[in-house]
Amino acid sequence: MPEQDNSQFGDKFRQMIETIDVANLLTEPLTDSINSLLSTSATEIASREASVLVRDGDQGDLRFLTAIGQVADMLYGVKVPAGKGIAGFVFSSGQPMAVGNVGEESSFYAEIDKKTGYSTQTILATPLRHAGEVIGVLEYVNRPGEPPYASFTPDEMDKAAFYADAIASLVNAYEAAKLLRELGDKVLKDDQNMGLTELREWLHDLRNSTEHREMMDLGILMREIAGRGPGEREMCKELLEAILKFSDRNRETSFLSM
Amino acid sequence: MSIVDEAPFFPAMSSYFRPDNWRSASGNGVTVAIIDSGIDGNHPELESKVIESVEARVENKKVLFEPSDSGDSAGHGTACAGIVSRIAPDAVFTSIKVLGAGGLGDGQAFLAGLEYAIKKKHRLINLSLGTTKPQFFAPLHDLLDRAYQAGCIVVAAANNLPQPSFPSVFSSSLISVIKSVDTDPFNFGFHYGQVIELTAPGVNVQTTWLNGGYRSLTGNSFACPHIVGVIALLLERYPDFTPFQVKSALYAIARENQERKKLSES
Repeated sequence: MPEQDNSQFGDKFRQMIETIDVANLLTEPLTDSINSLLSTSATEIASREASVLVRDGDQGDLRFLTAIGQVADMLYGVKVPAGKGIAGFVFSSGQPMAVGNVGEESSFYAEIDKKTGYSTQTILATPLRHAGEVIGVLEYVNRPGEPPYASFTPDEMDKAAFYADAIASLVNAYEAAKLLRELGDKVLKDDQNMGLTELREWLHDLRNSTEHREMMDLGILMREIAGRGPGEREMCKELLEAILKFSDRNRETSFLSM
Repeated sequence: MSIVDEAPFFPAMSSYFRPDNWRSASGNGVTVAIIDSGIDGNHPELESKVIESVEARVENKKVLFEPSDSGDSAGHGTACAGIVSRIAPDAVFTSIKVLGAGGLGDGQAFLAGLEYAIKKKHRLINLSLGTTKPQFFAPLHDLLDRAYQAGCIVVAAANNLPQPSFPSVFSSSLISVIKSVDTDPFNFGFHYGQVIELTAPGVNVQTTWLNGGYRSLTGNSFACPHIVGVIALLLERYPDFTPFQVKSALYAIARENQERKKLSES
C-alpha cells in the first residue's frame, strides 16, 4: 500500500474506530434500559411476555429487537414481513389494538408460535413513535398464570401508550448509535487493502493509545452527564460549544497542543 | 362538567331523529368506502357485499390505485366491514387498500387513499387510521375541506396515544370517534367541546376476521365503524344529508340517549 494511501486510510480508520467505540458505549446501556423498562411495563400491564419490534429496511418489515419471557431468546432477530400479523398492521397503520383470541386462526402468529412452541392467545400492540414517525411496535402477549387469558383492557392500552413513548426514545437513540456502528463496519469491510492481522494489530495499538483512551473517557463522562438530567445536558452542551468557539478562534495556537 | 352538560337540549330536533324514523333502516342503497388493509370478501358475513376493491401501488414515487383481488393482508379492514355490516346489513363496501403494500410510509398511504375516495365522491368513508406526523397536518386539512365540498362524510378514529393524531383532532366537518366500553351501537355519546366528540363501542368487540374467522378486538379503530354503521342507516332514510346535517343528527340522537339515561336513573 503506498505511504500516502496508508496515511489517509489511517485517518479514516481512526475516525471509524472512534465512532464504533462511542456507538458501543451508547448502545449497551440503551439495550439494558429498554429491557428494564420492558420488564417494568410488563409487570404493570400484567403481561407474561413482552417484546419490542423495530423497522427493518424501508419496505415496512419489522424485526424483534428485544423480548422478555419464556421464548425471548428465540425471538431475537426474527423478521415480520410488511403488514403481516397484528404487529405489522399496527406498524403500518399507527393504530394500537388488542386482540382477544389470537390462537383461533392460522395467521402469522401461528408461524411464530410453531417456531417457538409457544401459544399466543391474547395480544396488546401499540406503535412506537418518535418525532411523529412510527419506528416500531411494542407488544404484550398473554397473562401470568394458566389460560384462558383475559383480554387486555383499555386502561392497560393507555398505560402501554405511555411506556411506548419512553421506549421509543430509547429505541431511537439505540438505532442512531447502531447506524454509526454499521457505517464504521461497512467502511472497514469495504477496504480490501489491509490484511486482517495488520488490521487487528493496528486496532490493538489504537485502543491502547493514550489519546484514544482519553477520548473514550470523555465519551463516558458525557454519557454520565447526559444521564443526570436536562439541566446538566444543557450546561454540558454550552460548555462544549464555548470550547469549540475558543478553539476555532485560536486555531493557529490551539490549546489542544499545550 | 363539560360544555355538553350545559348545552341546550332541543327536544324538537331529537324527535325529528326518533329511532323509529331510522333504526329500522338497513343501509340499503348505501356504499361505505373502507380505507384500510383490504376486505376479505369471502368471509361468510361479507360475501357479495364488497362491490369494488382497489389497492395502492407506488410507481415513480406516485401512488396509483388499481383493481385488487388480494383481499385483506392483516384482518383489520375485514373487522371494520364486519362491524358496519352488523349494524347496516344491506350496506355494501368499496375496499380501498392502503396498508400492507411495501414502500408506503406512515401517513402517506392513507392520505393517498383518502384523496382517491374523495375524488370518487364516496358519500361515507371509514378511516380507522391516523398519523402524528406534523407534515401531514396541512395536506389532511386540505383533503377534509375537499371532502366537505364534495359531500363526503369522513369518520375517523382517534389514536390511543398521548400525541394528537391527524385527522382525528380536526373539528370542522370530520366526525371523530373514540372507544367506549358500552356495547350498544345505538347508545353512542356526543361530547361537544371535547377534541374527540363521539364515543362508540370499542372494547372486546366481536367481529369478522381473516379466513372466515372472528376476533374479540379493542381499540378506537373499532369504534369508528360503529358510527359509520349508524350513519349508513341515517343515509338510507335521508340520502341528501350533508356532512354537517349528519353531525347534527348524531348530536341529537346522542342527546336523546343522554336524556333517556337521566330519566331512567331518576
